[in-house]
Amino acid sequence: MDLNETFLKVIEDHRGILYKIVRSYCKSEEDRKDLIQEIIFQLWKSFKKYDNHYKYSTWIYRIALNISISFYRKNRTLQTSSLPLEENIFTFQEIEIDKEKEYQINQLQVFIDELKEIDKAIMLLYLEEKNHKEISEIIGISETNVGTKINRIKKILLVKFQNSK
Amino acid sequence: MEHTEILNLWKSYDQKLEQALSINKATAQDVLKLKTKSVLASMKPIKLFTLLVGCVWVMLGSVIITNLFMYAYDKVSHFFIYSAAIQLILTAIAIAIYLYQLVVIQQVDVADSVLKTQKRLSYLKSSTLWCARILFLQLPVWTTFYLSESTFLSGNIAYITINGIITLIFTCISVWLFLNINYSNKDKKWFKVIFEGKEWNPIIESLGYYREIEDYTKENK
Repeated sequence: MDLNETFLKVIEDHRGILYKIVRSYCKSEEDRKDLIQEIIFQLWKSFKKYDNHYKYSTWIYRIALNISISFYRKNRTLQTSSLPLEENIFTFQEIEIDKEKEYQINQLQVFIDELKEIDKAIMLLYLEEKNHKEISEIIGISETNVGTKINRIKKILLVKFQNSK
Repeated sequence: MEHTEILNLWKSYDQKLEQALSINKATAQDVLKLKTKSVLASMKPIKLFTLLVGCVWVMLGSVIITNLFMYAYDKVSHFFIYSAAIQLILTAIAIAIYLYQLVVIQQVDVADSVLKTQKRLSYLKSSTLWCARILFLQLPVWTTFYLSESTFLSGNIAYITINGIITLIFTCISVWLFLNINYSNKDKKWFKVIFEGKEWNPIIESLGYYREIEDYTKENK
């Protein structure tokens, strides 16, 4: 398998991570299209010097979160433009899902959207059930600090859920 | 809702994505062919134009002033030659800082931890304020370059006094601005007057963001 194919396989295996990050940092469909292009391009640029000391997921999280946060901050003031690709990178198949559950998932997404950029990143990692060590490696704060931040963010989310009832 | 319920909700979202989501490999492949834009190509035309004008100004000015220093030092006004040299040096420093910042931003390793990368990026972006601080230091030389030794020999006390006062005021203003252009003054009226506009907003925001990140890394906050 050549480098190109290996890279695409890694991306495919971690498509869920990429989608969830893009979805959390961009509200509009057009912006999401721009952002995923930028993330994939930056991952590709970095793939040749990938440090296998870290897991693929850690490496992907770091790059995708860094690009998303920068993109989010830039987009608040400036417009960006994407490569004019005909197809979307993500494609969806229609599947049946419990309406009540779908509503709750959407609500959780809305609450996550309202968090500050770094809190949002920590929450996404917590929901993905990453342990404190991994979160600390990705975000760049101590494990103790990760614990403190998670507890604080969880409380915020629970209050939001309670208030929405 | 309990913590475990939130986690379970997220898991079901994950399962839904696992089934429904796929990557369009052909489109992803097209993205890989994207050529990296050079630093200059990614700049807005007006910024690029300003930068080019600045570079041409410094280069031409340097050639003229160096020649004057070397071949006509005794024939031209020393006020002019030193004022122009100071102006060119300060402009060159500001351009160098700006270019350095642009190049280093492109080289920041996005595979580093989130806070390290974001802190570095926000620091580099906010360092554009240094260009403004340095450029303001030029103010006094715009009140001295037209003077000459004969101005002082003519004995026109009123003219010399008024010019001296203006130079002193400009010097005080430029030093004061150099020392006070920083994030802690961002809400002051004079600061807003100088740095009003969408070009400056991201830079001021970057400064705030840098402080936010510094604060975030502190334990138990």
